[in-house]
Amino acid sequence: MPTDIDQTTRLALYRRQVEIRVLEKRAYDLFLQNLVKGTSHLSLGQEAVAAGFAVAMRADDYTFCTYRGHAHTLARGAPMLGVLGELMGRSAGLMGGKGGSMHLTSVEHGAMGSYAIVGAHLPVAAGAAWSAQYRGTGQVAVCFFGDGTTNIGAFHEALNLAAVWKLPVVFVCENNQYMEYTPIQSVTAVEHPAADRARAYGLDPVLIDGNDADVVYRAAREAIARARGGGGPSLVEAETYRYSGHSRADPGAYRPPGELEAWTKKDPLALYRRRLLDLGFAESALADVERAVERAVDEATEGARASPPSPLDVIEKDVWADGGSAWRN
Amino acid sequence: MDVVMPQLGETVKQGTVAVWRKKVGDRVEKDEPLFEVSTDKVETDIPAPAAGVLSAILVPEGETVPVGTRLAVIEVAGEVRSAPSAAAPATPVATGAAPPPAPAARPAPPFRREEGGPRLSPVVRRLLDEHHLDPAAVTGTGADGRITRDDVLAHVARTQREATPAAGDATVVPMNRIRRLTAERTARSVAVSPHVLQAVEVDFSAVDAARRASADAWKSSEGFSLTYLPFVARAVCEAIGEFPHVNASVRGESLLVHPHVNLGVAVDLGFEGLVVPVVKHAQRRTLGELARELRALAEKARRRALSPDDLAGGTYTLSNSGPFGTLLTAPIIQQPQVAILSTDGVRKRPVVVEGPDGDAVVVHPVGVLAQCFDHRAFDGAYSAAFLKRVREILERRDWSAELT
Amino acid sequence: MAQLTYREAAAAGIAQEMARDERVVFLGEDVAAAGGVFKATGGLLQRFGAKRVRDTPISEQAIIGAAMGAAMTGLIPIAEIMFSDFLAVCWDMIANQIAKTRYMTAGQVSLPLVIRTANGSGARFGAQHSQSVESWAMAVPGLKVVAPSTPADVKGLLAAAVRDPDPVLFFEHKGLYATQGEVPDGEHVDRLGTARVLRTGSDVTVVALAAMVPRALQAAERLEKEDGISATVVDLRSLVPLDTQTLLAETSRTGRLYTVEENPRLCGWGAEIAAIAAEECFYDLDGPIVRITTPHVPLPAADALEDATVPTVERIVETIRRTAG
Repeated sequence: MPTDIDQTTRLALYRRQVEIRVLEKRAYDLFLQNLVKGTSHLSLGQEAVAAGFAVAMRADDYTFCTYRGHAHTLARGAPMLGVLGELMGRSAGLMGGKGGSMHLTSVEHGAMGSYAIVGAHLPVAAGAAWSAQYRGTGQVAVCFFGDGTTNIGAFHEALNLAAVWKLPVVFVCENNQYMEYTPIQSVTAVEHPAADRARAYGLDPVLIDGNDADVVYRAAREAIARARGGGGPSLVEAETYRYSGHSRADPGAYRPPGELEAWTKKDPLALYRRRLLDLGFAESALADVERAVERAVDEATEGARASPPSPLDVIEKDVWADGGSAWRN
Repeated sequence: MDVVMPQLGETVKQGTVAVWRKKVGDRVEKDEPLFEVSTDKVETDIPAPAAGVLSAILVPEGETVPVGTRLAVIEVAGEVRSAPSAAAPATPVATGAAPPPAPAARPAPPFRREEGGPRLSPVVRRLLDEHHLDPAAVTGTGADGRITRDDVLAHVARTQREATPAAGDATVVPMNRIRRLTAERTARSVAVSPHVLQAVEVDFSAVDAARRASADAWKSSEGFSLTYLPFVARAVCEAIGEFPHVNASVRGESLLVHPHVNLGVAVDLGFEGLVVPVVKHAQRRTLGELARELRALAEKARRRALSPDDLAGGTYTLSNSGPFGTLLTAPIIQQPQVAILSTDGVRKRPVVVEGPDGDAVVVHPVGVLAQCFDHRAFDGAYSAAFLKRVREILERRDWSAELT
Repeated sequence: MAQLTYREAAAAGIAQEMARDERVVFLGEDVAAAGGVFKATGGLLQRFGAKRVRDTPISEQAIIGAAMGAAMTGLIPIAEIMFSDFLAVCWDMIANQIAKTRYMTAGQVSLPLVIRTANGSGARFGAQHSQSVESWAMAVPGLKVVAPSTPADVKGLLAAAVRDPDPVLFFEHKGLYATQGEVPDGEHVDRLGTARVLRTGSDVTVVALAAMVPRALQAAERLEKEDGISATVVDLRSLVPLDTQTLLAETSRTGRLYTVEENPRLCGWGAEIAAIAAEECFYDLDGPIVRITTPHVPLPAADALEDATVPTVERIVETIRRTAG
């Protein structure tokens, strides 16, 4: 076994994945209880990508993600209470219920927002990277998006600008095989929607197993180091699979029989747990992590349920920097 | 076929239908006298423009209308029947290469009368109403004899001069928007709510002691001086907790008791009007927060920067004439609230205090708090008990603890 | 006071702010080496260097997205969109992302940025390069909208926009770039959300924006001379925030309100202003509120057609003359 990843890091990678798994399942349970309204897009099955990158990032690096963003926001250390509270529209939510599931943001944790219009955040991440480059802070922006995003214009505009300006940004395509309900291969001119486009922007194609947290972590470490060192942007395609449908409303019935089962055999958590045991981690240490996470998610759930709905006076707050919404004198 | 008011001279813009020579339903021949018109220059018979049946008379005898106004309809045999309505003239619209947008493309519709009266603009209606004038008394100089705002103002100025020759040098000061709103609202409030005035005398020694003790620290940290008003505001909010009906509105046959105290504070705009910005959820604020908020709203009001939100939602109001040293003010309730409190001047007065060695006369700062309440909402005993509680809080509270 | 053109005032405003604050950066298509297709940004590259004055690819989404990302992480970008018509290409970035992010994040994210763009007709560029689209921006909560009519206002309001903590869409009028005017020497900073009364009359109030302001002023002179109609002319300068106090006061004073708009008729800013006046000073109105606008058509390219489409001095005079009595 390679020893380039130390034990603390491995435990952190495992813990992050467990946190995402348990919290996403909880979010789903709360839909069923009608405590989470609206739409929600879960990352069940895709935990390794969020965990692998987040653990490789510096505390002041920037994360930009999509409406499937609970995992990435949580992985940067945003509090579970804030995440669940936001899903439930409570005042304890990260944004007091004003953003909702698709817009989780926690600037103090470097989670610079979840963007719900496909492709919009790639140029924004490039801009944050430009700012870091300009200010000379060594910060890196990491921008996660789905396979469907590779076919929208903003993807190409952002890749080109980032390459031309040599921006410290890592673009990460989570290829979960479906744009929404449609298989990505049936609507894309190349086999690997992101990796096969890298050459067009003078970048090396990087195609990785997105279900193996160690693989993701190594790819992240390398791309982030290049960005921080002035080597410009990277485009990483991580192959993975989402267990649930596109959103809350989607049972995923369009998937061919056996596909989900085949992917669950490559489940990122099961794989990583096995590896840690093989590496000599004690079963009890892993069970401790799992129990601690369960407890933390339970507490966050209780906290969110106890939190009152946001007061109505937030409706007219925070349109402007002065805290208000006045458009006239 | 429409019959219209003819132009009986280059400079003539209107005419009066003096007499109709035919009735509705009568048969008329072309060029037969149909009606008589009088203008300030001539009186003349007007012949029918076509033969047919007089199917409608749109302008009665004695009425003056602009040139071009439809006066009657003659139904001509073979002509498509048109409803004798007061529809706009069917002048065809010329279409050029770049027609200006509607309504600019249409010629201005001729001035028409509706239901026997002239068409009046909103400001003219308001002014006529305010001065109890009949539009017929005012000469219109606008297009087609329309009465304009200036016509009414000129008429008012003239009649006032004529009516009060001794005061011929009086200045007419038109009311600004705030003045007019205040006029309308106060008049309505007095009409709607039976106002009852009650006042209590309050000894402000406790307040004054706290105010003096923290005066320098407060001034240097906040940049303004602490007045009596926030103390009164704080005491009122607390007393409302015990007497919630003071913080209510009358709705039909119910009293709507509000869960929060949104405290309005009347602010004078340098004698140019009065506005009442509102401290929302005032009952949740500490003394210091109230002081800052009141100060901020007053500043904003003087900068004319209040937003409609700042003015909305009040549930109880303070009116503060104290700085002018007034003895007692009977304020008018801000509808739909049910009570308003005036804080008047605080002055040093001899006060009798009871001590262990008997009564003594000492000098204390004393002022009057006067509440007007709506007798529909509650009775004098309730109001008096509320005022008593406000006084107790102001006199007995250890205010210094609230300022640290 | 220096005599500057409207385009020189734009460069002067940007330069003033870049010199003042290192965080101010400037990006757009052809803005650096070429000095802008309207020559409004000449000299900035030479003065501030390629790190701060950046040419971009033809990628409006990337330009505005990058400005947003930079603004949320500590810079104050000025982004140029060459023609305001192209805002449609990056409207997601502006209307969905920039306008809403502070609100959706409950104030966690600040976006101090300015989007400058060349708006309006007069250059005979046809329907896709001549529009006045400020009303698009006015309809989106979270955007401030400014449109100056004079060189002094270009500099002063641009400086105010850069210093404003919220996103500002700054509509320069391409028909005014060559006009000249006095601009105060030294640092010049104006205030957003303030209309300016340029001329005081007693009979009618005419409210105009950008290139319609000089036309409204000329129309007022003619009405005074030829018809004895005395007109107040208000330069709105800013649609959001909107100086309703000045608008209502000036409308109440004369009792008559006219708006002069270059945008097509439906849902132009004049409609909003007419509605505000009707709601809030109805009892001061002495006649119908009249909007003078471009008809509800795309703009034609030919000079004679374009000239006859956008409100002219003649049309303003004629409309007021016909309806003001």
